[in-house]
Amino acid sequence: MTMKDKAAIVGIGQTERYRRGASLPKSMMDMAIEATLLALKDAALTVEDLDGFAFYGGAPADPGAMAYLMGVPHVKFAATLTAGGSGAAGSVGMAAAVINAGLANVCVSLFVLQQVPTGRFGGSSEGPRQIPAARGGGAYGGGGNVSPEAAFTAPAGVISPGHNFSMLAQRHMYQYGTKREHFAEVCISQRNNAMKRPQSMRQTPLTLEDYFAARMISDPLCLFDYTMECDGAIAVITTSTERARDLPHTPVLISGSGIGGTGDNAHLLGNFQMPDISFASAGARDVAKQMYAMAEVGPQDVDVALLYDHFSPMVLMQLEDFQFCPIGESGPFVAEGNIRFGTGSIPVNTHGGNLSDFYCPGMTHLVEGVEQLRGTAINQVEGAEIALCTGGPSSIPMTGTILKKDR
Amino acid sequence: MTTPAIAFKHMPPPLFTDPYADAWTAPFWEATKREQLTAPRCKNCGAFRLPPSRWCAHCRTQEIEYVDLPGTGTLYSFIVVRHPLSPDAADYVPYIPAVVDADGAPGARFLSNMVDIEPEDVQIGMPLRVVWNHVSATLTLPFWTRA
Repeated sequence: MTMKDKAAIVGIGQTERYRRGASLPKSMMDMAIEATLLALKDAALTVEDLDGFAFYGGAPADPGAMAYLMGVPHVKFAATLTAGGSGAAGSVGMAAAVINAGLANVCVSLFVLQQVPTGRFGGSSEGPRQIPAARGGGAYGGGGNVSPEAAFTAPAGVISPGHNFSMLAQRHMYQYGTKREHFAEVCISQRNNAMKRPQSMRQTPLTLEDYFAARMISDPLCLFDYTMECDGAIAVITTSTERARDLPHTPVLISGSGIGGTGDNAHLLGNFQMPDISFASAGARDVAKQMYAMAEVGPQDVDVALLYDHFSPMVLMQLEDFQFCPIGESGPFVAEGNIRFGTGSIPVNTHGGNLSDFYCPGMTHLVEGVEQLRGTAINQVEGAEIALCTGGPSSIPMTGTILKKDR
Repeated sequence: MTTPAIAFKHMPPPLFTDPYADAWTAPFWEATKREQLTAPRCKNCGAFRLPPSRWCAHCRTQEIEYVDLPGTGTLYSFIVVRHPLSPDAADYVPYIPAVVDADGAPGARFLSNMVDIEPEDVQIGMPLRVVWNHVSATLTLPFWTRA
């Protein structure tokens, strides 16, 4: 007996969307609470109804502080999935599990970003200035506050997520013949989707010529392969399906969720020891199987795929891991137009994604999934009943969730 | 012993001056001073692993031994970092982080750098040999170049 269809997303809330750093003087907590209040309002629920915090990547907002500042009377559950943006889709899966287990009744999942220089999410992890500040250890006296293992990886200068994923992308190109044109198709397709949405941050057309004229950041990735940076917060509210049916919106059922990965792929982000068969992957094959099995659907049943796109090649690798095409064939698959809205066999990131809509690590994918199934999306997939949302390939847990329109 | 600041073409920005080693990793760094590449192998089941983590994922034992390697290998993947993420890195771009399958240590890969080669000439699958960057009295780092 699984949690299939027993909980539903009933509310979505978003703050204003800001360019990087432009949300000041608001605080991150200001924005986290604002988004939560808007999501509760959308659900026709109140702060008194809220009793659970199902976060990912630390949110990064402290549930205890939020409860205090918002006056939540009873907190019955509070936890965050480990790792980073990989948990986006799984956070509502965790909420569904918690609600189904009777731990809490109404959960909020959210993310808030404020990309100021002192705290950039996804910024470089080992800035050259940081190492001289190492305290203790050294000269074989142990690591002090630096891990002794770090000397085997950190000196190579792979110091940002983009560097890590470039390494996977390069191998994918070698192993399967994937081309930069295929990365470009992801970027261009999503830009086209964003341009139809007034709220999307990127509104200028993107051509193949523009793509190839862009500066390289870390070969084989150029500027357009990297997500943008933004400020803002987005929250969603999950409750039991039974209760959801008494609320104003069409319930968006959480049909299946996978939150994990395989141990041998756990170093996707870091030291590159993954086996050959899964090195150039999103590390999501296990998660996909678990999620589809729980939802009792397959990739052929998915009407719209909202795939976390911090870097364009990872969309390709997710198309493979989530079984929309065979392993290694995502390049030709996108080149044939399969991910385009309106004409493709599986429209991907109809909102424009992290790359062209707005970067709130994965939350926009959940919101777009909800809007598609409510029938209110701007780039509405006709008759959409099942949406796939994923978290960003990185460390364990990688996550994916199947959302389904309630009948 | 210490080599000049930019001793190799396309070397990465200097991030470490010491390996911050403990008893577990010190044998590797001791060997680098002699320009000898080694890799840690599980004493129980013989599986190589990098970095020298505390547990063998194959047999769940802890003891390792360091094995001398020939210092040759094959390029598994690489990137070319062109955008400096901090002002300190500006003098060093482009640099070429590389994942290397070292001969003699199957199942364990080195994360290091390609040096003394132009980015356009780097290709996955190319044969490599190790070269040594003597950073300080305690840190000598392996780099890789075309064999």
